[in-house]
Amino acid sequence: MNVINIAHGAFIMLGAYLTYWLFVGPMHLDPFLSIPLAMLAMFVLAYLLQRVLVNQVIRAPMLATFLLTFGISIMIANLAQIFWSSDIREITTAYSGTSLSFGGLTVPWVRLWTLLIAIVLTIALQAFMTRSKIGRAIRATSMDVDAARLSGVGVANIYALTFGIGGALAAAAGSLVSVSYAITPSMGDSFLVRAFVVSVLGGLGNVTGALVGGLVYGVIESFGALWFGEGFKDVVAMVALLLVLLFRPYGLIGRATA
Amino acid sequence: MGFANDRHHRLFAFLTGIAAAALLAVTGAAGTPQPAAADDVITFGAALSATGRDAREGALTKEGYDFWADYVNAQGGIKVAGKMYKVAIKYYDDASDSATSAKLVERLITQDNIKFILAPYGSSATFAASAITEKYQVPMVDPNGAAEAIFNRGFHYTFAILSPAKKYLQGILELAQTMHPRPTTVAVLAANDQFSIEVAAGVRDYAKQNGFTEVFYSEYPPDTKDVATLLTQVKAKNPDIILGSGHLQDSLLIMRAAKDQGVQSKIIGFSVGPSTPDFITSLGPDANGVMGGAQWTTALTYTDPVFGSAQRYTRLFQAKYNHLPDYHNAESSAACETFQYAMAKAGSLDPDKVRDALASLDIDTFYGKIKFDSRGVNIYKPMAVEQIQKGVHETVWPEDAANAKPIYPLPPWGKR
Repeated sequence: MNVINIAHGAFIMLGAYLTYWLFVGPMHLDPFLSIPLAMLAMFVLAYLLQRVLVNQVIRAPMLATFLLTFGISIMIANLAQIFWSSDIREITTAYSGTSLSFGGLTVPWVRLWTLLIAIVLTIALQAFMTRSKIGRAIRATSMDVDAARLSGVGVANIYALTFGIGGALAAAAGSLVSVSYAITPSMGDSFLVRAFVVSVLGGLGNVTGALVGGLVYGVIESFGALWFGEGFKDVVAMVALLLVLLFRPYGLIGRATA
Repeated sequence: MGFANDRHHRLFAFLTGIAAAALLAVTGAAGTPQPAAADDVITFGAALSATGRDAREGALTKEGYDFWADYVNAQGGIKVAGKMYKVAIKYYDDASDSATSAKLVERLITQDNIKFILAPYGSSATFAASAITEKYQVPMVDPNGAAEAIFNRGFHYTFAILSPAKKYLQGILELAQTMHPRPTTVAVLAANDQFSIEVAAGVRDYAKQNGFTEVFYSEYPPDTKDVATLLTQVKAKNPDIILGSGHLQDSLLIMRAAKDQGVQSKIIGFSVGPSTPDFITSLGPDANGVMGGAQWTTALTYTDPVFGSAQRYTRLFQAKYNHLPDYHNAESSAACETFQYAMAKAGSLDPDKVRDALASLDIDTFYGKIKFDSRGVNIYKPMAVEQIQKGVHETVWPEDAANAKPIYPLPPWGKR
């Protein structure tokens, strides 16, 4: 698609805040149950952003979309700060501290559920992209816009749908992390960096690659913290990324595309 | 978009010009509210964190400053050289960023003409601000920056009324030595900022010299979002005592991660966090049993002529703000009180004379003894230890100030 979405981190943040407001509001909606709502809301927002703003520069060099989404991300983060203040919010549920113990290991339930839901969403996305008509249209458009248009694909709509799906998934991620991490207007930044690294690690455009990349990255980060200390966590992970790219430029799973 | 008719265009421009001029005139006049008699007000300046990582601590500091200002103003003001002055405080938000604090303090001094600065929240911000106050030779009283590094630069214009960083967690180990069975192993986690490093160094030295074995030490980035790997390592060492040196946000993170992993120790304590009201409201029953180093507690028996006693301060503060004052509130009020005494002693509002009065001050306040060594550090005030019991702060150390017995060892998670 050639749209680098810098605002992905901001979408994650919005998803987290939406989950938070649903949790502390009169509905007291459980964070996991609010995932579909957050996804729907962000899908709509992202779809509109694409159609109204990003589509204007879609034919311009990639840098233009890069700058535009960068600007959108700054605006969203600062609007969040104005309306919701930088105060740090947290979601603590009844099951927040509970964990599963087996064989000397302790795994918090929340993290386990987060992993499972992430896997489910990845499988769903992969199925959508390969089996559904819209999914195939998206892949066609990303391969060759003009050929897709000639085949009867409504390209502007497809671009917006893709962006919308990306936004929805970001919102799901935001909802999932809202239970484990502090919620602030700038929380998206660290996730954005990781999202890019994971995508590259797994191979750009490769959905299952992203899942594998995510798992590998998480493990490397944790072991890096264990062996080299907390401060070097990011250094270790980035070095690992560098090494992977040196020897497998298309990522761990990606293949060279024509 | 253009006007079809050129005449309309000129009329439009003319009307816009009139409107703009009128607007400027109105806002210009209403810009700075002129007090009835400007020379009867002493204005202090403070760059505080209203937003960002230290927002909660910044808010507590502001409450402390405002409480003193409203209290003395209600009594007619403060008396300097026989004349009564009302007090006012001008605030800016430094968004928990020290570079911004320094910039804003400079603005207070150079643009707003403030001659007396109340320090920002935290050692990092105070460190940055102290360079500015030193440059402009404006006295600053510091109630919330405990790192001694601030004072090891030979500056003369910054005075810290709180006990230095290295003392924050020592009290917990002093208390631990009186417990049966005596805990022996200690794990220390420290955020990588000046204050927290000093706190950790202080308690580690104390541990080494007093028969404790340190089984784990690690630093972590101050704005870390995840400490799970850290707590996994702590759990593996199974320490009797876990000490966290950081601020409120990290203490909450560590508590949550400890619960997630089922890390059980006999004592858990933090440098900053447990004393704040937010610690209890964020963690609920999990907060019970947690200890914290406290610069001041409501149980102390100090008295002073301004607020009467620690208990009276507590009562009046709670009536106004609907929560019990924590030590951030108290020391912030005490900082203003320190200025008050210094100005009265100097008999003048000349910044250098006030600075000299501060340097030679020796007073007993509701907060404790305030007296500075040659660097500007208050080494004369002891620190206490608080423990949260049944959702309430109790003073458990030193013994002569304690109003409750410490809960030891910690009950398991879920049973607190």
